[in-house]
Amino acid sequence: EAASLPHSEGAGGLAEWVLVELQGEVEPRQSGGLAGSLLGDLHYTHEGVPVLIVGHHILYGKVVQLEKPFAVLVKQRATEPDPTRADAHYAVTALIKTKLLFKTRPKPIITNVPKKV
Amino acid sequence: SLVIRGEKDEQVVLCSKDKTYEMKIADTSNMLLFIPGCKTSEQLNADQASCNIIHSEIAGFSNNYWELRRCRPKLKKLRKLLMEDPYEGPDSQKDQTLTISKYTTEDLLSLIQASEEEILHHLQAIDACKIEGYWRILEFDYQMKLLNHVTQLIDSESWSLSKVPLCTCLEELGPLEPKEMIEHILLSYGRKYIDDAGEVYFEMREDKICRALGQMLLQNAVKFNLSDFLEVWQQSVPEGMTTRLDQLKGLALVDKSSRPETIFLLKVEDLPEDNQERFNSLFTIREKWTEVDITPYIEDLCAEKQTVGALLTKYARSSMQNGVKVYNSRRPIS
Repeated sequence: EAASLPHSEGAGGLAEWVLVELQGEVEPRQSGGLAGSLLGDLHYTHEGVPVLIVGHHILYGKVVQLEKPFAVLVKQRATEPDPTRADAHYAVTALIKTKLLFKTRPKPIITNVPKKV
Repeated sequence: SLVIRGEKDEQVVLCSKDKTYEMKIADTSNMLLFIPGCKTSEQLNADQASCNIIHSEIAGFSNNYWELRRCRPKLKKLRKLLMEDPYEGPDSQKDQTLTISKYTTEDLLSLIQASEEEILHHLQAIDACKIEGYWRILEFDYQMKLLNHVTQLIDSESWSLSKVPLCTCLEELGPLEPKEMIEHILLSYGRKYIDDAGEVYFEMREDKICRALGQMLLQNAVKFNLSDFLEVWQQSVPEGMTTRLDQLKGLALVDKSSRPETIFLLKVEDLPEDNQERFNSLFTIREKWTEVDITPYIEDLCAEKQTVGALLTKYARSSMQNGVKVYNSRRPIS
């Protein structure tokens, strides 16, 4: 059973984020970590199918409504730091009710197919 | 907001205002990216004309997440903490200024693995009260002393057990005990109501009073001959009250196999909180149990929507003995 949390969106309510689930790992093209780098482009077809282009690969996914939504928690600093006690308070920053699941094999995009000479 | 509670040696729980959840970490080989600004195709549809690129930042990624499962609040510790220093009354020899084993609401919130509402509810259930800002349980003997004052007064005033006036109690018993304690014992062992004239009365709780007096008798002996006990017990309760064995459920157990039949104290709150450990200790005390006998000692283990039957199926094995269904341990108990 999920924790019951306020689930209104918009002003005064909780933000709603989206989860993108990729099979396998994402590696940076150059060394130096992922932070700040472009992952790729996300498109949707007319039918609403999500399409992710990462590097020269194309991935087709599907939109999944999560049966058990996620809550994103951010650790809060205790208002009065007390060395004798180490309470942890977590505030719910956002909810995630939808995920884009990419589990098919990435297909390489071949843009230039040479004609038979 | 949510609060994670637990000391280093405890399994972590997450608490909302009124519920408690076990936290388990779940691993996935997939990569989970969370994107604040990401739009779904329905949200984009509305804006057909424009072909803008929306720059969304991936807030983070993870390979694992926490799963929550609603669980029973872990309240055994609450009673244990309050029993470290039970309140013995104002005449007690103990140094009342020591506050080491005394707990405020804030203290309890940081030590007990349960939500605030569950903690406050349990404090009421165990008849705890606040004395000088600290939550205290009254020592049993002191409770009985206070109760005895009240029942004697009821008797001498010939009041009905269901119409005990608060005012008069405070007046008559005030010289003997603190007024807060008199009111507390009335609240613990009676049901408060206000009549049409605005006067506060208490309807004394027969079952709870008989149970307490039963406990008082049983505490002083390892075992009691059942028929002797029943006689003495009935004589010890206020006039107009009737004792019944089912008032002692979860407090005492009758040994029907001994000749003569005996009864002994077995308090459910003294038994382990963990399901398997609870069953182990029950089967150590007695090899085979009927459902009627074991139910008061396991019903507090039931999760939301779980039945005693389900617990028995999981933790015990059943067999027939003299035409009666009995339960024993699934594995040998050393």
